[in-house]
Amino acid sequence: MAAASIEDSEEFRIFLDELGEMVELTEANLVELEKSPGDPGLISEVFRAMHTIKGGAATLGLEDGVKVTHAMETVLDEVRSGSRHLDSSMVNLLFSVLDWLKLWREALSTGLSRPSPVSLLEAIGAFSPSKAAGPTGNSLSGTGGSETRLPPPLEEAIENALAQGKTPAVLKVKFRREAPFLSVRAFQVITYADEIADVLGSIPSTEEIERDAVGEELSVYFTPAEKGEAVVRAVSSVTDVTLASVEPVDQSRAQEVDETSPAPEELEPPAHGTAGEPPVQAEPTTATGVPGGRSAGDSGSVADGGREFQGQSEEAPEDTGERGTGNRGGSKQAEAVAPAQHAPLVRKTDLGKTVRVDVSLLDFLMDTVGELVIQRTRLTQIASKLQAADETAATGQDIGTLAAHLQRISQELQEGIMRARLLPLKNIFAKFPRLIRDLSVKCGKQIRFEMSGEDTELDRTVIEAIDDPLIHILRNAVDHGIETPEERRRKGKPPGGVIRLSAWHQENHVLIQVEDDGAGVDVEKVKESAVKKGLLSSEDVSKIDEKQALELIFLPGFSTAEKPTEVSGRGVGMDVVRENLERVNGTVEVRTRRGQGTTVTMRLPLTLAIMRALLVLAGGWIYAVPTSSVEEVVDFSGDDLQTIQGKPTIVVRGKVFPLISLQGVLEGAMWNVGKSCQYALLTRNGKSLMALAVDDLLGEEEIVVKEMGRLLSRVRGVAGATILADGDPAVILDVNYLV
Amino acid sequence: MAAETQTGGSERQIVVFSLGTESYGVDIASVREIIVMQRITPVPRTPEFVQGIINLRGRVIPVLDLRKHFGFDVKPPDEDQRIVVTDVDGEIVGIIVDSVFSVMRVPDSAIEPPSPMVTGPEAQYLIGIAKTEDRLIILLDIAKIITDAEKRMLKEMDLAHAVLDEGDS
Repeated sequence: MAAASIEDSEEFRIFLDELGEMVELTEANLVELEKSPGDPGLISEVFRAMHTIKGGAATLGLEDGVKVTHAMETVLDEVRSGSRHLDSSMVNLLFSVLDWLKLWREALSTGLSRPSPVSLLEAIGAFSPSKAAGPTGNSLSGTGGSETRLPPPLEEAIENALAQGKTPAVLKVKFRREAPFLSVRAFQVITYADEIADVLGSIPSTEEIERDAVGEELSVYFTPAEKGEAVVRAVSSVTDVTLASVEPVDQSRAQEVDETSPAPEELEPPAHGTAGEPPVQAEPTTATGVPGGRSAGDSGSVADGGREFQGQSEEAPEDTGERGTGNRGGSKQAEAVAPAQHAPLVRKTDLGKTVRVDVSLLDFLMDTVGELVIQRTRLTQIASKLQAADETAATGQDIGTLAAHLQRISQELQEGIMRARLLPLKNIFAKFPRLIRDLSVKCGKQIRFEMSGEDTELDRTVIEAIDDPLIHILRNAVDHGIETPEERRRKGKPPGGVIRLSAWHQENHVLIQVEDDGAGVDVEKVKESAVKKGLLSSEDVSKIDEKQALELIFLPGFSTAEKPTEVSGRGVGMDVVRENLERVNGTVEVRTRRGQGTTVTMRLPLTLAIMRALLVLAGGWIYAVPTSSVEEVVDFSGDDLQTIQGKPTIVVRGKVFPLISLQGVLEGAMWNVGKSCQYALLTRNGKSLMALAVDDLLGEEEIVVKEMGRLLSRVRGVAGATILADGDPAVILDVNYLV
Repeated sequence: MAAETQTGGSERQIVVFSLGTESYGVDIASVREIIVMQRITPVPRTPEFVQGIINLRGRVIPVLDLRKHFGFDVKPPDEDQRIVVTDVDGEIVGIIVDSVFSVMRVPDSAIEPPSPMVTGPEAQYLIGIAKTEDRLIILLDIAKIITDAEKRMLKEMDLAHAVLDEGDS
């Protein structure tokens, strides 16, 4: 019924986000697992991820996703419990599951046809011969409950209760054969029982119920026995309960021959939106743990990972009065956080510390704060004007103080918002281990991939911009960098290569480096190729040094690979890498040593929207030059000006720099250094330094970068605009593209 | 869905401005506001018809000189000049005109299709001609003017690049 609009729902979008995150996380964990097989922490994480996806899929009625994750979960659970080894074939299976989930996610978000899970389910099924792929009730096999013995934790709980003089009893419930949502019903029974009495445990256990390992029978152990009648009355109201009875426990323990071999039950997603959802994630209860007030209601989502729910459904027991005051000794946690009586079911864990915010809202806040900063600057100016005149000096003073306060506040606000825009690099790094793994298999290379600094944070726009470049650089490292094992042996290197991806802070920049111990770049080959492609004449090539030659790889249309391989692909080259980085004020640099490896370093600004800039005057207009691209400011208004081959140069500490007029270069006559020029900015122009002559320096300021609209978005050498303190806009220059 | 309930058919609201000796009109739906002339910061390396940028309440928007865009003679700045701030699909662009007369309602019946009467460079942006009691108003397609400006920009800037690159080597 509700299927028509589900794709538009907020829940659906959150699920897609979550799905993407889970897949990435799991991918990283799997690569780790390959290195340290059997790591229980990693296995649990993978398991949990599957579980979370399953939960989300079930809530939305996405049956295929539920089936796949459930099947995988079943296999993983065996690994987790130690009854099965996680071998490489299973890792590969998990990778295929992830691939399927990616496709599926893509299909869900685009509305294209969804991938079929059939063959994948078969593959997973092959791993669990004892149980067919798909949700089956394998209730007690894992916990040994098929004997007369109770599971040890439950046994213990009962012993304890007896020891304390309590009177344990067991509630036996039968469900209607083949009723849907048995696990939900089971939870309801346990919840209702727990509202009245103290539940000690159940068969199947709550963990098993979570896994849908529920048959037609359910035994709930509780104290005290006197509450038995009330318990029976309460649980009888649960849908599909056909029989409910209470027995004192000693007697029943003797008879506890567990024939709970539940019939395999297809899990039905709640597609028709009626009562109940499949059970979703909850932490395993501890020995004496009681699923404190867990319930699944008719509305809302399922308690996720929270033991603290006291959901209320229409079928709630009549004796509400007892709820809350009832003896719930076993569920202390529950009481600590128990929600209000009629609280709806909510996903408790998600309400914790984070909120998802639309990026456009962040952008809006950023802009607004930018405005605030500008207004504050104006206020400061007004204050100093007022202070200058005697009769208004006092008022000016006051306003000045106010402006100073305002400055501090707006600065904090600004920093806060900028922090909100930061994302850890993990967001894009997470997929790289898998990428390297797949590529190295494809290329027949042995590669150890090391990653560090993935917690380093960067503005989200910057993160987005470097994703593709990083992939390209990593691919290059695998494809062209690291040699084949044979080749490496011949060279006396260990057969396995190393690619190291690291990120770290340096002042207000973040550096990201990809380092390999491969063959290095063949500079001669680069030169040759440049000539062959007509990018440079053979005469020019003979003149350039190694550093300059390396710059050639950033030229459009350059690629040293004789044939584009599947891995490196075609079309995209280092020129695109550089272009992408420059768009976010970043730079990229390559260093290489023949036979020893290549290092590619990207340098990125921490944040984008606000930058420090030098305000300079040229030709009567103010321009902003990002401070990050200015190495030094030189006052040459005296002597140092010299001419070499008719072109002006200046000498700074014995070094000669070509002197380019800013006004001139903007108007197309760059060597035309006017007499008015006083200062020169030593700026980076690609790899070399140039001196940019300006008329005057007006100071360094924090400026807010503004876009100028589509019409002016592609002007070479112009990075955007900012609004000056007097309200006039000024052009921000991109010195990399001035010349 | 547009309401055409008025008796006698629908009508349009147009902003009427002057440029040289002619009166022009643009649909009011694409006009955001009309502001007085202000100091315009030039943007280097742009074609001449791009006058520069202004600060429109915290937003930086490009301003085009329509005279230059149409290839008319340049007129020295005066007090009547206005910037018509247009909004075409969210792209905000200011357009300098000689003066703005008014906002008028023109019944559709008073609008004639483009005629060979208009022969200037602006003819390619012509939607029609509105006849009122005292004058003829040339109706312009503002979206086309903007996209055309964009195309020209790209073209002229590419040329500029080529020149720059040449001068470089």
